[in-house]
Amino acid sequence: MVEAHQRRERAPRNEKTMNQLSKHTNLGLNILMILSCIAVLLPIWLIIIASFTEENTLKSFGYAFWPREFSTKAYTYLFSSNSIIGTAYKNTVLSTVLGTIASMISVGLYAYPLSRKEFRFRKFFAFFSFFTMLFNGGLVSYFFVARNVLNLTNSLWALFLPLSFSAFWVLVMRTFYTSAVPDAVIESARIDGASEWRTLLQIVLPLSLPGLATVALFSAVGVWNNFFQCMLLTNEAKYFNLQYTIYTTLNNIRFLKDMASSVGGNFNISVAELPSETFRMGMAVLTVGPIILAYPFFQRYFIRGLTIGAVKG
Amino acid sequence: MHMAKGKPSTADLRKHHALPGGHKRQLAFLMMLLPGIAFLICFSYLPMPGIIMAFKNYRLAIPPKDFWIQNRFIYSVFVQNPWVGLTNFKFLTATPDGAMILRNTVGYNLLFMVTGLVLSVGLAVVIHELRNRRAAKVYHTILFLPYFISWIVVSYALYALISTTGMFNQIARATNSATINYYTKVQYWPYIFWIANIWKYTGNGSIIYLATLTGFDQDLYEAAAIDGAGKWRQFWTITLPQLMPTIVLLQILAIGRFFNSDFDMFFSLPNGSGILRNATNTIDVYVYHALSGGSQMGYAAAGAFFQSTVGFILVLTTNMIVRRVEPDMSLF
Repeated sequence: MVEAHQRRERAPRNEKTMNQLSKHTNLGLNILMILSCIAVLLPIWLIIIASFTEENTLKSFGYAFWPREFSTKAYTYLFSSNSIIGTAYKNTVLSTVLGTIASMISVGLYAYPLSRKEFRFRKFFAFFSFFTMLFNGGLVSYFFVARNVLNLTNSLWALFLPLSFSAFWVLVMRTFYTSAVPDAVIESARIDGASEWRTLLQIVLPLSLPGLATVALFSAVGVWNNFFQCMLLTNEAKYFNLQYTIYTTLNNIRFLKDMASSVGGNFNISVAELPSETFRMGMAVLTVGPIILAYPFFQRYFIRGLTIGAVKG
Repeated sequence: MHMAKGKPSTADLRKHHALPGGHKRQLAFLMMLLPGIAFLICFSYLPMPGIIMAFKNYRLAIPPKDFWIQNRFIYSVFVQNPWVGLTNFKFLTATPDGAMILRNTVGYNLLFMVTGLVLSVGLAVVIHELRNRRAAKVYHTILFLPYFISWIVVSYALYALISTTGMFNQIARATNSATINYYTKVQYWPYIFWIANIWKYTGNGSIIYLATLTGFDQDLYEAAAIDGAGKWRQFWTITLPQLMPTIVLLQILAIGRFFNSDFDMFFSLPNGSGILRNATNTIDVYVYHALSGGSQMGYAAAGAFFQSTVGFILVLTTNMIVRRVEPDMSLF
């Protein structure tokens, strides 16, 4: 799709101008798009600004587009060694790395035989994977299997193993293999006597790297943003990931605030003991930060992956 | 001599293609599948038989020492627990909660489906038609961003907007109108979910339509323009009919997920405010609460059973319809 846009840009001027939007419509739509972009970015902006605002200013004047009084105290506290976010960050980074590796290996390997016509059980294993997109055992059964059969509860495995494999990624990856690697290349590798493993690792994979990158990014973002598995399968703070940690923090504060207002303000001490509002907003920023920073680099892969997977898969 | 060496006979070729590597190659293929098979069995196939929990009175029991199954869960569900028929499904019909949950799940899905379709197609067309390509790309990049932000972080952003110190109430104070505590007012929440859903998914939804649009034959548009058709007319007579197959396919797929909801959104945005449950409870949320509460395990299992089987039936039915109308587009 990106390529298609570039092709349009290079088209000769006179050909393009024939059937274009009128200047007024174009201007109107540009304004509409700019407003939409602002609406998309504004909520994120508010969090970032709040995290750089001085605590009491935030409490008395509320959220603003620009810090009334600038402060980096929230981050000083966040980066101090005894903060709860350290463990959560470690868990999230570790599970994201492991989960991404697990996805690349399992999906990359599973999709290849399905892309080869000479694999005898191709149809069966394609269905074996695809069927899981249509039917599942439901949450309750899944929970008990994960807890009582697989013993995943309260472990780091719980944060990424359930998310490592997906039939949809297999579809995407298989499409990449069939479209990026010509049959003739594989045939010639075989005539040269390469084993199937060697063909895959040395010839097919290097040609399918964009596909593998798509799967890796899907998986990484999925594990990084995951909150449900953590909530379902862990109850010890040392296994919590970032998303679940900031979820519980926001909830605690709200609960105490409700209590404080209904009882009459005798809860000030316990509220003060909890991470303050700017601290929490800083946590949200640190949670979403890596994604926003990496986003410009990975979004084109995502677009390509989604397009190919959805159109052809 | 030279001929024989250069060109293998057709018989040789056929042999080569019929047995490309034979058993050894097949074995290598099977080995490659193993990690994936392990994942599929553990997280998809093992939970499937457990779906019968919906028809059982679940209580964890300890198997006798000499029994061949020693796993407590497997023993309880498949050996020990009594069948109770449809008792667990009573929550759907006998309680007001059941009706409310179904109404919320299907209602939100319908709402999101219609607005998602209109806005995604609209965005794709606008991005496609804008004269300044570079700006169009920037817009699309920005509008796609929310897809990667977790609902938990969105719940923080929402808090910054609608809490008592949030942006909305600041504006209310500045304009001397009444402030609103949104976390206690249920009537606002359908709109909040609606806007949040649009915010998060429109950019993502437009990608597939944009990809389809760029593949269209531009000559058709040029010809229409020469005949005097404006952009608006071109949209209705060329763009929309050509997008139709994609639109229909995606909507039918969406119908298959009609009894599933975006758990993370419904669960995290209200920040655990129980007053809002009339607007925030969907099947997924209900099943989770019943499961984590522990006392209504049967209801939770029944809800989960309902979701996966009705979803399955809907997918099969819709696929059948697709196959009848447009055989090329059916899923299987």
